[in-house]
Amino acid sequence: MSDTTTQSPSEMEELVYDTDGRRVAFTLDEELYPREAILGAAYLFLDRCFVFLERPADQKVQVRLKTKDGASDPDALEVLAGEFANALLDQVVRFRVAESTGQLREYAFARAFFTTPAQSSIDQLLAELDDEELEEDDLEVAVPWEQDGGGQ
Amino acid sequence: MSRITTKSLRLPKRSVRAEHLGYFRFGRIGKHVVLTNDAGEWSQLTPGEFDAFLMGNVEDGHPRFEELRERGFLRADLDLDDMARKIRRKRRYLGHGPHLAVLITTLRCNQSCAYCHASRTDMHRTDTDMSLETARLAVDHAMKTPSPYLCFEYQGGEPTVNFDVLKFCVEYSRERNKQEGKTLDHSVVTNMTYMNQERADWLVANKVLVCTSLDGPESVHNANRPWTGKKAAAYESVVGWMKYFNNKYVEQGLDPELWHVDALMTSTKRSLKAGNQIVDLYVDLGIRNIHIRPLNPFGFATKTWRAIGYSMEEWLGYYERTLDYIIELNKQGVQIMEGTAATFLKKMLTPDDPNFVDIRTPVGSGTGQICYGFDGSIFPSDEGRMVHGMGDSIFKIGDVYNTSFEEAVNHPTVRSIATASYLDTLPMCATCWNAPYCGVRPLHNYMQFGDLFAQRPLTGKCQQHMGIVGLLFKRLANDPDGAVASIFRRWTIDRPRLADET
Ligand code: SF4
Repeated sequence: MSDTTTQSPSEMEELVYDTDGRRVAFTLDEELYPREAILGAAYLFLDRCFVFLERPADQKVQVRLKTKDGASDPDALEVLAGEFANALLDQVVRFRVAESTGQLREYAFARAFFTTPAQSSIDQLLAELDDEELEEDDLEVAVPWEQDGGGQ
Repeated sequence: MSRITTKSLRLPKRSVRAEHLGYFRFGRIGKHVVLTNDAGEWSQLTPGEFDAFLMGNVEDGHPRFEELRERGFLRADLDLDDMARKIRRKRRYLGHGPHLAVLITTLRCNQSCAYCHASRTDMHRTDTDMSLETARLAVDHAMKTPSPYLCFEYQGGEPTVNFDVLKFCVEYSRERNKQEGKTLDHSVVTNMTYMNQERADWLVANKVLVCTSLDGPESVHNANRPWTGKKAAAYESVVGWMKYFNNKYVEQGLDPELWHVDALMTSTKRSLKAGNQIVDLYVDLGIRNIHIRPLNPFGFATKTWRAIGYSMEEWLGYYERTLDYIIELNKQGVQIMEGTAATFLKKMLTPDDPNFVDIRTPVGSGTGQICYGFDGSIFPSDEGRMVHGMGDSIFKIGDVYNTSFEEAVNHPTVRSIATASYLDTLPMCATCWNAPYCGVRPLHNYMQFGDLFAQRPLTGKCQQHMGIVGLLFKRLANDPDGAVASIFRRWTIDRPRLADET
């Protein structure tokens, strides 16, 4: 896996936004914030505000968050801006991890489901699991009640 | 026009050295950051530990190193074959086909519940009874499932109103099963208002599991579930019959831990104040499993919703208080568990998945369950039948006279539902920490928003599932003596009741 996903540690990040008392707007650079991360963060706010996306210039995405009731509440907007910024940074981490681990996941899922013809692998797995379950069943929870003395 | 001002936020940069890490999802829950992965493994880290983890600083010698390595969160020694094995085990239901066949024996019902979505008709409407011929074809159809286990669940209306058809299905499927060799269960979902001794004794003798509805103490139950013509008696009847069945099981020498009437409750506004009383009632009746369920917010007139509804936030507050009361009772030695929590805990604390059709990916509609209407119509699930009852046949995938089992389960509608509920591809779910445990409900989405996919933050199920699993993680994080973990582990142990072996 490549090292391109490494970022330098513990810097502060500055996020600039505009507000007119009813909405906040971030203009984000896709070089710093991958588009998937921007869209992912915006999606999380759908229940709280109206989300508008625009492309003011190449490689730039503008996200505008507008309160649903249209009321002017500068304090609430500050909170919203801060929460969006935090969500965006988390989404960037998610994007970096997904990018770096995509092949690992593909391998694991391919091994899980497609290594042998589907049905025979499932049958084999079930046999394995049944053996395992008996081995692991210290409490004998799988023993039917008729056989453990509680029966008819 | 208000003046635009420019401001800025200074935030600590989240540094990540992804090449040191395995694949993980994460979310901030209470004071912790929860990590989860595709195998259903999880760890709870402090924010400081999380930062160290992201920076690749959790190395040999770090107190969390072993745990994170073993669970596949670190790239060091990452065993992908083991991960694949765990994923396969978690999703073993994918190769099975439907294991739940819902049969609607009639639409007739003598209750008219405040929150009923099931299309119901009055008692004189015998034209909404399933015929014996339709029942035979429905059983034949359902038994074509490749699943080695099959549960026939009888629903309505009130399914015991058409008891001859119910009896026929039990007996005919057992007869057919002599060739098929499946493990069969039969379960009837009844409000008990049409029960009599003969029917009850037949159900006990034939080991048909009985599940009823009990919304709480008398005042709550009777207000929620008025019995046509007998306003005050619904509670008395259901409790009386529960006791009758439970005594009969004991008389037959059956283990009461496994053999007792199960009950489901639906919470209305009234229930929100009566959580502890409801739990006490369930305990008094010997029920070990209480499902605290919210109302589904569709199909209501606004007036009804105002009278009985509430927000998901209010419901989650009630759920939290009631769950804490249940945990407290468990600490005192009382055996009672909350059903939805138990479903999630099985996913979180065991290597398996309980294959609960409503909380899995993809959802079980058409791939884990199938529903047969009274007239032989086939639907991917009971909800599809309800939508049909409301005049929209979008989820009808055939009928038992003309549609083969293969045609039904491969129907484009079933595929669309699977696509709309495959969490790895849905916005928000794809990166959500709860995805290994969660499930979405495309048919609910359709009923509420007219769209199979809907937007996650707007759906009650998303808030509900995130709220419940988040709560479970919080209780596990705040458990210095391990008492909660041991109670939760006990809730994950299933002892199978007798299934039909013939
Ligand atoms: S439905 Fe909600 S809680 Fe469940 S996985 Fe999707 S986003 Fe997460």
